[in-house]
Amino acid sequence: MLTFLEFINAVWIGSVYFISAAGLTLSYRVTRILNFAYTNMITLGAYLAVILTLNGTGNLLVLIPIVFVAGSLLAIGMHYFVFSRLMSLKATPLMLMASSIGIWIFLKYVYYGIVGYLQRAWKVGLYQATPNLNLDWGLNAYGVELSGAFVASIALAAASILSLYLFLIKTRMGKALRAVADNPSLAEVSGIPSEKVMYVTWFIAGGLASLSGLMWALFSIVTPEVGDSLILEIFAVSVIGGLYSIPMTAFGAYVISGAENLLMPILHDTIGLEVSFRPFIAFFTLLVVILIKPPLGAAGALPYRFRLRRRER
Amino acid sequence: MIGFDVTGFILSWAVFFSIYSILAISLNLETGLTGMANFGKVAFYGLGAYFTGYVSIELFLRLHGLDYPIYSTDAIVALGKLSAEQPSLNLSVFLLTLVGSFLFAGAIGFLIMLPALRVGPAFFGITVLSFGEMLRIFLRHYRAVGATYGLTGIPHPLAWVGGTFHKELGFALIALSLLIFTYIYAQRITNSPLGRLLKAIRDDETATLYLGKNVPIVKGKVLFIGSGMAGVAGCLYAYYLGSITPNAFLPAVTFEVWAMMLLGGVGNNRGAILGAGIVTFLDRSTAALNFIFPNLIIDPNFIRWMLIGMIIVVVLLFKPEGIIKEEYVWTPAWRLLEAKAEARRKAFKELVRRLIKRR
Repeated sequence: MLTFLEFINAVWIGSVYFISAAGLTLSYRVTRILNFAYTNMITLGAYLAVILTLNGTGNLLVLIPIVFVAGSLLAIGMHYFVFSRLMSLKATPLMLMASSIGIWIFLKYVYYGIVGYLQRAWKVGLYQATPNLNLDWGLNAYGVELSGAFVASIALAAASILSLYLFLIKTRMGKALRAVADNPSLAEVSGIPSEKVMYVTWFIAGGLASLSGLMWALFSIVTPEVGDSLILEIFAVSVIGGLYSIPMTAFGAYVISGAENLLMPILHDTIGLEVSFRPFIAFFTLLVVILIKPPLGAAGALPYRFRLRRRER
Repeated sequence: MIGFDVTGFILSWAVFFSIYSILAISLNLETGLTGMANFGKVAFYGLGAYFTGYVSIELFLRLHGLDYPIYSTDAIVALGKLSAEQPSLNLSVFLLTLVGSFLFAGAIGFLIMLPALRVGPAFFGITVLSFGEMLRIFLRHYRAVGATYGLTGIPHPLAWVGGTFHKELGFALIALSLLIFTYIYAQRITNSPLGRLLKAIRDDETATLYLGKNVPIVKGKVLFIGSGMAGVAGCLYAYYLGSITPNAFLPAVTFEVWAMMLLGGVGNNRGAILGAGIVTFLDRSTAALNFIFPNLIIDPNFIRWMLIGMIIVVVLLFKPEGIIKEEYVWTPAWRLLEAKAEARRKAFKELVRRLIKRR
């Protein structure tokens, strides 16, 4: 039977998916790059949470800005050193995606190297680690017990989405960002500095990715493969949102997380499906959504249809 | 350098070079010529390998009247004995699985055409990538093909040859000849009207569609051929190692093949082979490095993957056309013109020579 813990997990993982997919959607809308190196920002956030709290005096409120800025700097660095140069060389979206895959592999093994080195130098187990945060307090209301880490991550998710919303709706820069996302040429003609907007986008997207890594670290084991294990789910969530709408992304995040954490145990009990088939759900959803309702524009596809030609009589 | 076997190194490099070259050529047909970003090459490679492993083990056991389940220890022991008995059986099973893995992987590649038609190049990449991951997870849990342990004891086609060296040499020659065959085939496609059509699709899909070409079917054909080639590479891999596990078919393999194609030159079959040669040499030599110096600060495996990531980014930034540039399509008209020009040049030389003689 389903337990309360499984519901908690569904909400928790759903929030991680939501925050990271929101960043991915935003960056895709503005820059039109399907960035696989997004995984590295997630892993960076998770590992910073582990490494900065090794001495056991971790304070979440200090950690959050550090993690956010680190992820942002990584994203901005990627854009400055690779993507902006490739864009000025008029590279196709395909080649931008290939370059992001190159960065992904490179940084992943750089992380492996650094983690291995630190593990030898400091003599602590880092390949599978958890952060050391003082989150022992818990909420107890109406007979429901919530752990401190859960409350903190939900609050973090809510705060970041709220500030993202306020930024996009209320500020001048947010409006410029939305304008570039909707129509880059029109925005350029209206005098919006699209290059600057792109850097702001990467700042936000990288920070959100990094924060989602931090949230992941609060309830699960951190390995150098954290981002890799999440990236296809995140893409699935973004595609459900059509790579366009943030509310639909939220819907997709909680649906996929719910299917993984609530539907899976039920299927296991009823038809004996193994629990390790879990990633199947996300991939399956991704394939089905792409086949039935491809995202808006779907990155330059022609609208082919499998229709039988009607004979004229 | 104690115990480092140079001939063994060269032979294993030759086999891996052939396997990866076939993969790179097939990726080049799909991505370099047609413009479909195939980030799921490893899926078809794995399909070929699994088809080969499953069919050859099943055939060997069933033809000898044994009914062990294929992942049992008895079956592996029996296969070790049986594989050295009948050369004709070994070779015929090899040929059968070679053709079968081409057709099997190709057919599934053709079915992947469905999403390919609905979405653009980038999303096609993601679709195929997730297909590959789904396949890997499925194989990891499918008991009939050995689940996590994979298939072991795949009968080597040359197991009846005495001596490891001759066996290895024979297999390397088979692999290299398959590579040459694939290269000639790919070169024929590139220089045919189909090849020109593929380049037209890559450069402007809408225009090609409006010229009255059936773009979806052509893309499907290319996916059939390319996936089939990847299946053949998987077949060679399965026979060479003798055992396969689902974790050999991680998405990282696809990116390695991408690095080869980008490094060698997009849209050029010779470039694909050159890139495969360079990257597999790096790969094998880091493996050798691991063997020679066991206690490096950073695992040589990490260095190798960092290099592959760097190759992709650096080549895209500084030399997007790769080492060998794309060539023009060698059409019959070009051939005719070239022949005429050659004849004219000869006639001119003849004339000059006669003039000099007269003097």
